[in-house]
Amino acid sequence: MAHVSRRDFLKTGVAAGVAIKVSFLSAPVQARLIETPPHPGPDWLKPDGRPRYRLDAIAKVTGEKTFARDYRARDLEGWPKDQSHAFLLHATKADQVFEGVDLSILGDDLKPDRLVLHEDLVAEGIVIPVPGDFYGDVFLVPKGQTARLLGQPVALLVYHDFARYDAAKRLLRFDDRVVRYGAKAPYSHPPHYGAARYVRIDGGDPFAEDRYSPLKDTVIYGGFSGDDPAWPPAGDGDAMARGMTAAAEIEKEIAAAGQDALVLKHQYFSQSIDASAMEADNGNVWYDPTTGVLHMMVATQSPYEVAEVAAILVSKSKFKLGTVDLKAGYTVGYGTKDHSIFPFFCVLAGLYGDGRPVRLANDRYEQFQMGLKRHAFWMDNVLVIDRATAKIRAMTGHFKNDGGGRANFSFSVGFVGATAAQSIYYLPKSDFSGAAIASRAVDAGSTRGYGTLQSMSATEMMIDEAAELLSVDAIDLRLANVFKSGMKNTQGAIPAGALRNEEILLKARQHPLWRDRLTKKAEFEAANPGKRYGVGYGHVQKDYGTGAEAAIASIEFDATGRLSFAHVAHEIGTGTTTSQAIMVGDILGRVPDETHYAKVVWPQMPLETTEEPYTMSQADEDQRKQNPRWTPSFTSPMSATNSVYYLGHATREAARALLDLAIWPAALALWSRGIGGGAIAPYTVRREELRLAHGMVNAGGLPPLSLGDVAAEAHRQGLITGVTVHSFNRWQWAEAEFDIPGAGRHKLPVDALALKYGDGAPDDRKALQTLDGWQFIDRAGVTYPPTQRNNAGVTYYAPMATFAEVVVDIGSGEVTLLSHHSIMECGTQIVPELVSGQIQGGIAMGVGHALKEYLPLYEDGPGDGTWNWNRYELPRSKDVAVWTQTAEILAPLSETDAPKGIAEVVMIAIVPAIANAVAQAIGRRFYALPITAEKIREALA
Amino acid sequence: MTIALKKLSLTVNGKAIDPVDVPDTMMMQDFLYEYLNLTGARMGCGQGICHACTVIVENDDGTLAEMRTCITGAHWFEGRKVRTIEGHAKRDASGAITQLTPVQQAFIEHFSFQCGYCTPGFVTGATVLLDELKRKPVARADLERTISEALDKHICRCTGYVRYYEAVRDVILNTPGLIKA
Repeated sequence: MAHVSRRDFLKTGVAAGVAIKVSFLSAPVQARLIETPPHPGPDWLKPDGRPRYRLDAIAKVTGEKTFARDYRARDLEGWPKDQSHAFLLHATKADQVFEGVDLSILGDDLKPDRLVLHEDLVAEGIVIPVPGDFYGDVFLVPKGQTARLLGQPVALLVYHDFARYDAAKRLLRFDDRVVRYGAKAPYSHPPHYGAARYVRIDGGDPFAEDRYSPLKDTVIYGGFSGDDPAWPPAGDGDAMARGMTAAAEIEKEIAAAGQDALVLKHQYFSQSIDASAMEADNGNVWYDPTTGVLHMMVATQSPYEVAEVAAILVSKSKFKLGTVDLKAGYTVGYGTKDHSIFPFFCVLAGLYGDGRPVRLANDRYEQFQMGLKRHAFWMDNVLVIDRATAKIRAMTGHFKNDGGGRANFSFSVGFVGATAAQSIYYLPKSDFSGAAIASRAVDAGSTRGYGTLQSMSATEMMIDEAAELLSVDAIDLRLANVFKSGMKNTQGAIPAGALRNEEILLKARQHPLWRDRLTKKAEFEAANPGKRYGVGYGHVQKDYGTGAEAAIASIEFDATGRLSFAHVAHEIGTGTTTSQAIMVGDILGRVPDETHYAKVVWPQMPLETTEEPYTMSQADEDQRKQNPRWTPSFTSPMSATNSVYYLGHATREAARALLDLAIWPAALALWSRGIGGGAIAPYTVRREELRLAHGMVNAGGLPPLSLGDVAAEAHRQGLITGVTVHSFNRWQWAEAEFDIPGAGRHKLPVDALALKYGDGAPDDRKALQTLDGWQFIDRAGVTYPPTQRNNAGVTYYAPMATFAEVVVDIGSGEVTLLSHHSIMECGTQIVPELVSGQIQGGIAMGVGHALKEYLPLYEDGPGDGTWNWNRYELPRSKDVAVWTQTAEILAPLSETDAPKGIAEVVMIAIVPAIANAVAQAIGRRFYALPITAEKIREALA
Repeated sequence: MTIALKKLSLTVNGKAIDPVDVPDTMMMQDFLYEYLNLTGARMGCGQGICHACTVIVENDDGTLAEMRTCITGAHWFEGRKVRTIEGHAKRDASGAITQLTPVQQAFIEHFSFQCGYCTPGFVTGATVLLDELKRKPVARADLERTISEALDKHICRCTGYVRYYEAVRDVILNTPGLIKA
């Protein structure tokens, strides 16, 4: 879900005039993730090699410690057993200066063992470790100043025993006398975060060279004038000026549109929500002052970032730092645990633990108060459609998203929302912009959908209304404008592979829910007075990936054919630990016997990285890539949509390389044994005939070999027996050439490679294995996708369409979802049960966004510390048509189709589908989400 | 303010817990986490809304009841027999799992959960439902509604409920005596 890394985002800020300098600690930063005990039972695979259950299923279903939240100091090897606990007090006013805290209500017994205020942090040299506003300017509100955002912590209280901690927290909670405020003062949130604009005019048809596009020319960056973006002047000079000229041309054309065009203008609003991951933010940190080791156990989707930033934080303070030792358990966050500030509050707690481990774990009120939110979006859209042809002539959309009081990913969420707004339509002329606004709201960040749920839902609601106004079937209107393979997106890039939206639309048009909707409406309403029936359709395609996806995977076998697999991926609930293992099995014919996920230390990959993949100039990258150990990025945060395709690429390429470099030559050797060239000699058998399944190696009718036999031969001959790869994608894969000992030059879609040789390898080759038993192969050459490709925004899409069948009670305004049906395309499914679970779960979350979930942004919002699931209503089973939902998935075009990331797209189409269904039911359209019963009652009054 | 302590003794997963001093105001979930190191009954809301934290109380008459540990004080459980998620599957002397319950087995085979945070609550809720159906079987036509009514109080944020409910339906249909003849 994270589309740029923190540093890349900050660098992007440089273009907007924000000076940033980030330095990194050279001291050893060791991030080590716990492989929690998800060891499966012996029967986790079915005879056909498909999983009977998830790799982590038994641990999860029996209540084993799996989440970071489950661990206490006593569970962590080498930690002292006495666990301390901490909590934060929060500001609930942002317009009065903070004066201090009054803990007198606690009496002497319940006073904290350590009270930490901003002034203490200053005295110890503790500052926000990342320059700029990404995490704001202060952890705790300084005395005499206003909180930068509602809910900002003002004090940290540490207790050395649980009972006093628990009792004190109960006493202080909800007591508005504890945090003391003084005089009124202006808000102190940061300046606005950034504005970007994507203008495109095609060259007369979708396939001709564009007249102007971000990919061909540039993304336009703006500043702010008050709360509105200020764009560079139009002109014929530099690329941005020409872009503004193109924007002006589109605006003029819209203004001049005549009666032959429908010009539809609407403002849409998508609300702020809390992702409500059931595991609230938490961490446990033990700072050992004698050794200077910072031991951390935190819930995070971005462990590398947490380790690095924690190292910077402590090393700049008066606390001595030797090592950061990070452990991360399984977690879940839907993006909100990616680059969150919370782990660094955990570090503060640990530093003030007097040498004891300190646990800081949000309860649900606190999670609402400080957990990252989904951005509220305001969208000002214009759609121009030719009445005669039903073709879209142009579309524009200018968006603002409220990022709250810390920048976080707000800027990139804004522009990713803008680049997604075209949804599934080809737009000959388009002008979309995103402007990320700062405010006193609780900060928003990377949350499932990443801006696209907001913008695509609006587009889909608009298309539905346009169809009604044009008296055209809404699916026919979509068919007339559908984005097809080879066409360019609003950034001017050609998406990867086949776009199959047309196929989905044709299926949808035939679906009984759509075909019979008017008849059924009449029948239902005749039989159910006071109820209105409607069917709505939503159809979107969501990008997956970030434009800087990096991963490492490793596969090796021993002389008995036992497969070991390691990967940087860690589990956030999506099932990646299961699907990566299955992908190995799909290529090597057997699922690994041993898996090691969340591997952070890779001695065989001595890579150097600048971690500036989005902002590095082409010249700089061209120079740096000469170093065969340089890579634009080491590894990506875990997000739900990057696992199967991007993280899976490293898995698949490692397996394929092992197939080519080890399995095939070893099998050939066995088949060639004996007089006259053995069993293979009379045949002509090609590499592409090699088939691995059920632990057996076959090719062209030759005698089947067990993987064990082949492995033994590879080891005997000293062939390659282990492959580690590093992959990098910038909307296209990096490729490199490697001179492989004994195998010649190979070109692979990876940018780094390490090899391990079999037991029988000669001493001189074994001597090359200097890195924990591996040899790193310095690449002979590398091709990185050009840096200009950053402007592509997106090239990988997965589509999904959803019908929603609803009934509206015109008395109460309640919307009941009778059923829903979805059609999705995701390439090759690795584990269909996981795909189906994603669809069902994503739709439930979308139902919440469409109908139920809502947070006010400011004083009465979550920053006030009173929000919980009693008043913030999450979708329950009765809300999601649990027994009447269906889905179909298009078959892959061939068995070689790559799998596509779908964890975000699955939750989006249902949102406009419900809005459009409500419109069909009651004849009223809503432009602000969620569509609550109250809004419906008002509309019908 | 001084913390008032009280002795608490109860049986958890078949093991008697010796009387232990526990603050009067402490909630059961915190007692399970901090005193017994049983962290499977998970804190979700602390308000009794989401039911991620539930445990089974084994009543003297042999019936089972589902209790929310986030809003029920630890001392309410004085003298009671409690089954937490850690106590459902059969284990050998070393603590290794030897057999899952039918509900657990169905949940894993249906891929019912993703993150799994809410899973202990669903196992607990479904187990209590099965226990109720043993005494009061349901007509086949009412089965889906019965499951929905029994488990609707449990919140799942990842998987959209479908695979939990389908798994529970399978277990009920495959367990003799739970459906009216």
